[in-house]
Amino acid sequence: MVVRIARKELLEMTRDGRFRVAGGVVALLLLIALGLGWHRHSNVTAAHEIAIAQEREIWESQGEKSPHSAAHYGVYAFKPTGRLSFFDPGTESYTGVTVWLEAHKQNQFLYRPARDGNTLQRFGELTAAAVLQLLLPLLIILLAFSVFAGERESGTLRQVLSLGVRRSDLAVGKALGVIGALALLLVPAVLLGAAALTAGTADSPSGGLVRTLFLASAYLLYLGAFVGVTLAVSARAPSARFALVTLLGFWVFVCLAAPRAATDLAKALYPTPSVQEFAAALAEEKETGIGGVDYDDFLEGRKQELLAEYGVDDVEALPINYAGWRFQVSEEYGNQFFDRHYARLWDQFEAQDGFRQKIGFAAPLLAVRSLSMSLAGSDFAHFRRFAEQAEHYRRRLVAFLNDDMRDNAGAGFSYRQDQGLWTNAPAFAYDAPDPFWAVSGQSTALAALVLWLVLSAVLARSAAARLEVS
Amino acid sequence: MLEAKGLTKLYGSFKALDSLDLSIEPGQVFCLLGANGAGKTTTINLFLNFIEANAGEARVHGLQVAENPLETKKHLAYIPEQVMLYRHLTGLENLEYFTALAGHEEYSQGQLRRFLNEAGIPADAIDRRVSTYSKGMRQKVGIAIAVAKRAKALLLDEPTSGLDPKASSEFSELLKSMSGEGAAVLMATHDLFRAKETGTHVGIMKQGRLVAQLTTEEIGHADLEGLYLEHMHG
Repeated sequence: MVVRIARKELLEMTRDGRFRVAGGVVALLLLIALGLGWHRHSNVTAAHEIAIAQEREIWESQGEKSPHSAAHYGVYAFKPTGRLSFFDPGTESYTGVTVWLEAHKQNQFLYRPARDGNTLQRFGELTAAAVLQLLLPLLIILLAFSVFAGERESGTLRQVLSLGVRRSDLAVGKALGVIGALALLLVPAVLLGAAALTAGTADSPSGGLVRTLFLASAYLLYLGAFVGVTLAVSARAPSARFALVTLLGFWVFVCLAAPRAATDLAKALYPTPSVQEFAAALAEEKETGIGGVDYDDFLEGRKQELLAEYGVDDVEALPINYAGWRFQVSEEYGNQFFDRHYARLWDQFEAQDGFRQKIGFAAPLLAVRSLSMSLAGSDFAHFRRFAEQAEHYRRRLVAFLNDDMRDNAGAGFSYRQDQGLWTNAPAFAYDAPDPFWAVSGQSTALAALVLWLVLSAVLARSAAARLEVS
Repeated sequence: MLEAKGLTKLYGSFKALDSLDLSIEPGQVFCLLGANGAGKTTTINLFLNFIEANAGEARVHGLQVAENPLETKKHLAYIPEQVMLYRHLTGLENLEYFTALAGHEEYSQGQLRRFLNEAGIPADAIDRRVSTYSKGMRQKVGIAIAVAKRAKALLLDEPTSGLDPKASSEFSELLKSMSGEGAAVLMATHDLFRAKETGTHVGIMKQGRLVAQLTTEEIGHADLEGLYLEHMHG
């Protein structure tokens, strides 16, 4: 019975020119978005691979110099863009994917395409994720707003119900019909996406398959909730026109108004400094002494400890290179300061993300958006993980170079090292998180989506059970 | 087969139906006459359980409609003033869908075609979308649905209004053949001529009450019209 109803709904939709056009446009946009995303992703990945290879070569062949000069010479670290970021580039356009690691400083990220974008791009790039998040709900509304209200208006509902059809069967059948129509549209995109995922390198370091499955489930929850809401409204609405207007209002709220409001509210509740303000705050604290401790005092304290350790009165008498040791002390002096400033900034960004997840209970778009970015590995949490690993690596590299100078330079000021040391220096390798790490920060968003699906299903069911014939 | 006992429907203080007593046996065609708003459609809606009665009960095949909404509908077929079909589907697809929803999945395509054929749908129209159908053709699809459903009771709400005399007469023939096979028919109509032609019983309704009830053998066409007008003015 249910299958019968679903088949008839599907047949009607495929024969209706309006639905064919709307569905075709959305499917086409999705394919274009996937193509563009893939193009962008392969460009960035190819550039990264070349850059990473060259970067190490440049580092190793930097010639003879003091290790500390090498630390100033610095290296670039590149955030590998996850395989799925072609589907959802998330915040990468804004946070950047490259950072320059050098002595003394924790730098901000580079390569932020959003900075080069025009005003139009402010409205969002055409990404496959955006098509699924914004346009598919609209398509669901267009496909299904009249399933009950329209049949009631045309009078076919009276006849169907006079046959002795259970109202719940009718609701389930119609839901399946809409889902079937969506599936028809999504099949080419899903096949293409799957092909793109399995193409190229065999393994994905970040659990590509599991992430894809999670991602698909998140979107099923989200789109399912829209099907439920649409059926519920269509069943309760006095007319098809009323149903359409109500549902379009809902769409505008969920997909346009709520994300804007959530971002503005998040900024107001958890304010973050601009790049300039952040840099100014760093400079100011450096001026007045980090943590209220003057650098000279800090150095003096550490120097006394060092002298006591070696049982000598003067740095001249130390068996180690004092300059190399001092460079490392200055690093440590600065590190706690960067830790504090960046942690404060990043905690705020994370608080904003957490807040947006909570708004997902009011507007499911925010929940699915958060989950999608996270599973695609392009959200702020992934950025932060990379940034922290890069910073950790910077400190290891600088310490490695300073320690070499401390241990091997003796008293000499003209100490030089060559390729042997540069080659031995640790290389940066990003430890990409597994998919479970990605979802562990998304429990609020997941709860919001599940709640929306359950609630909308219950609403649709009860609305269908009380379906009025006229 | 169709039975109403003290059936009453109120909308606020307005009595849409006032303690209706009615019994229609298999093979009988009961024509309900009356002005618009006299309670004819309300009666049909109560038998279909589309609305709830305030008092009394409607029974189909001995079962209370309100308590057995799905079971009683298995015995019923409903043909409204305008049989509404899915315009993107063909006549055959519509019939197939409606009979399947009525629980009859057993028919082959050939049998379904025969139902449409016997109801008077031309062979070349069966596979056309119903958006090209005339009103008469749609009413005939309604009959085909009722026949395929093997309904024991028919509820007809002004099924011939707006049909040309030929289509109307064809419709009445189909109705007669169904009642000849033992169906109980309740038909609301404004067509006194059709009522006399096809009805075995006639009831006149006014302001929710059944004010007269007689068999058509008892009365000639002229008398029926006189009686009807008398009740309407009185």
